[in-house]
Amino acid sequence: METFIQSLVSGVLTGALYAMIAMGLTVVFGVMRIINMAHGEMVMLGMFGAWWAQKSWGLDPFVSILVWTPAMFALGLAIHRFLLRKIMPGGELNVLLYTAGLSLLIANLALLAFSGDYRTISLPYALRPMRPFGIAVPIPLAIAFGIALALTTALWAFLTRTDTGRAIRATAQNPESAALMGVNVPRIESLTFALGTALAGAAGVLLAPSLYLYPTVGEILSVKCFVIVVLGGLGSIPGAIVGGILLSVVESLGAVYVSVAWKDAIGFVLFLLVLLFRPGGIWGVARA
Amino acid sequence: MAKLFRIVKPLLQAIHLTKDFGGLRAVSDLTFDLHAGEILGLIGPNGAGKTTAFNLMAGFLPATSGDVRLDGASLLGLRPHAVVRRGIARTFQVVKPFRRLSVQENVALAAFGHEKRRERAEADARARLEFVGLAAQAARFASDLTLGEQKRLEIARALATRPRILFLDEPMGGLNPSEVDAACELVRRIRASGVSVILVEHHMKAIMRISDRVVVLNHGVKIGDAPPAEIVQNRDVVAAYLGEGHADA
Amino acid sequence: MKIAATVLAILALLGAPLLTANPFVLHLLILTLWAALLGAAWNLLGGYAGQVSFGHAAYLGVGAYATMILHLRVGWSPWLALLAGGVLAAVFAGPIGWICFRLRGPYFSLATLAVAEITRLVALNWESLTAGPMGLLVTTLPPLTIFGAPVNWESKAPFYYVILALSALVTLTTWHVARSRLGAFLLAVREDLDSAEAAGIDTVRTRVLALVLSAFFVGAAGGFYAIYYRYIDPDAVFTISLSVEMVFVPVVGGIATTWGPIVGAVFLTTIGEVFRDRFQSGHLIFYGFFMMIVIRYLPEGIWGRLSQWWAKRSATAAPRTRRGTANGKSPSPTPSP
Repeated sequence: METFIQSLVSGVLTGALYAMIAMGLTVVFGVMRIINMAHGEMVMLGMFGAWWAQKSWGLDPFVSILVWTPAMFALGLAIHRFLLRKIMPGGELNVLLYTAGLSLLIANLALLAFSGDYRTISLPYALRPMRPFGIAVPIPLAIAFGIALALTTALWAFLTRTDTGRAIRATAQNPESAALMGVNVPRIESLTFALGTALAGAAGVLLAPSLYLYPTVGEILSVKCFVIVVLGGLGSIPGAIVGGILLSVVESLGAVYVSVAWKDAIGFVLFLLVLLFRPGGIWGVARA
Repeated sequence: MAKLFRIVKPLLQAIHLTKDFGGLRAVSDLTFDLHAGEILGLIGPNGAGKTTAFNLMAGFLPATSGDVRLDGASLLGLRPHAVVRRGIARTFQVVKPFRRLSVQENVALAAFGHEKRRERAEADARARLEFVGLAAQAARFASDLTLGEQKRLEIARALATRPRILFLDEPMGGLNPSEVDAACELVRRIRASGVSVILVEHHMKAIMRISDRVVVLNHGVKIGDAPPAEIVQNRDVVAAYLGEGHADA
Repeated sequence: MKIAATVLAILALLGAPLLTANPFVLHLLILTLWAALLGAAWNLLGGYAGQVSFGHAAYLGVGAYATMILHLRVGWSPWLALLAGGVLAAVFAGPIGWICFRLRGPYFSLATLAVAEITRLVALNWESLTAGPMGLLVTTLPPLTIFGAPVNWESKAPFYYVILALSALVTLTTWHVARSRLGAFLLAVREDLDSAEAAGIDTVRTRVLALVLSAFFVGAAGGFYAIYYRYIDPDAVFTISLSVEMVFVPVVGGIATTWGPIVGAVFLTTIGEVFRDRFQSGHLIFYGFFMMIVIRYLPEGIWGRLSQWWAKRSATAAPRTRRGTANGKSPSPTPSP
């Protein structure tokens, strides 16, 4: 029973970060109807940002997130403005192929810059886990969870309480009507893409102390992120949150009760089962 | 007597057809018949469930309950192409031609279903294009046609599958008056060639002119089923279109 | 003129091992033909049918492992095992297509990624069959005689002829499919699934057929890889980057064209070799870069643009089907949705 609770807890903690990454992808899909194949690379950039800030400036990742989140937001704006905007009229498959190229470019430039070594970030205060109720909780993961929770709440408040947030949701529901209501759709798209990139980057910074860093880590993160958004229903933010936590818990329980070797496969099998029986995601959201 | 009975047996039957989207009942317990050689108009205010009813009968959506029968055989669970092969072809409300193929190829593709030889399919396609008046456009790309031409292209493509029944989803939407006249004439010629027609249409004048019978939907429920002259007398129908207050006027 | 050029090209291809004794040149030719084989196979599904798969490494891996296992454990001749590898990859692809083709467009692409990852994990963990991360190694290839002459496995020539035959086969298949009823159905599926169904085309069956055909050639390419390098492990044959490289070949060369994958393979292999020595995986930077450039400025690919230019020069030709831009860029004023 204790093992069960232990793996449930660590599953939920990591799941919140998965959810953050997936929210970034899903909000972009919701508004722009594109899948960014380079989304995992944005997480990777956040991770390396955190590593670099600690190494060169001695900044704790949970401090440097204040730098990297706006920086990734700016990068997102630039990618949308200079690259994607020109490609979008060519259709969704073009964007898919284009961002696949971008993903390969970024990952291998990072490989050139940082080499393929595995790195870790160690925090002096995080050598031993907390043990509330006898359950081991790694401190960096607990802090990251807290920040992820706060950021998710802030995002939700932004989307539901502010005019810009409502414009984003209106565009996601129907771009034509949103445009008729006076929403500046290109600006909303640009903002949304930047937001998605910033979410991925911030999640990368938060994950950095808990994971191994290497330049091609974005690949597996992308794939997991795709699994999550399909589980939750593409375009749905609550779906991304539930999907993220679900995948992470399944992986963490699978590692204990099935085998470490097969834990990744369980998530994918779940993914295929959902595709097969609930193609709109677990919620069963109908889609056109 | 037995022979007479067979003649009046309907070609297509929708039987207690129902479709729910989440909590919304888009089509509710819809029952109607289509007889061979008939032109049936399906009308109703926006969101009445007309296109949903089409999609249910053509296999594009699974029904929540109810049945669709062609010559007494259920079409339930068939995918759209299989429904097409049994003899029901359709057009789309928002036209969907194969944009980057030529007009000729658009139609030939549909003819390939029953003509394995390319030359035969091509010849068949030319005949259909002639029929809808697009022969001169055969070599152009579908995306270069006007909306009216694209609607006729979809009709030609549907006819190339050799249907017994043709579903037309708003064939006159967005057309100018002379094009509407041509479309009415085309629907009549389609019926004359032995194909029964169901059409969803908002163009009231046109539908009253060409339909043998009109089925009226409102909020997914059938509120009228009668020849055009009678349907305009129907209080429920008038109320649905003009609001309750006008029903007594 | 055209016939003379074709004959000359065929003779040059057949005679290449006689013209050069340099094993490195032959190795490059083999790599190019291998990439062309993969690209053309992907093109059948991704180009003509417009179903973008990011998981074709699954079929490559299944073909490679099937070939290796049939040869090592069952004792089949490697070349028979190679063909069996293709067949098994095709058989494997059938049910996968049946599942994944419930999905459309990008959803399908994501599902293919997941399938490839699952297959990789199975290969990694099913150690009794695959030896897991250790990989499978074949030390010597069995002796073989053709027309009484023993085949020298230490030279590259026999491998060259095998891969030449396979890429010729896939090119002929593509050429034939593009002109057949199946090819017409594939175009319809690419343009619009609903309309294709409305035209009476079974779009699931059509797509599964394209996938199975594609998987056969990719599986055979995997089998060739296994025999040529004599060693495979899951990270060599199941990686996502391999899946993505397979996509780049036809996209760069000219999607949904018969000759595009060959042009793309020549281009990308050359780039790859030029930069591979300079820095580690530098060629992948350029692959990514060229992918973006091509989609932005040359969506019909190198061969697609060349043949358009050629068609314009001999301008009398009547307008033909726009086959060149399966990735959705319609040159007409009305953009596709």
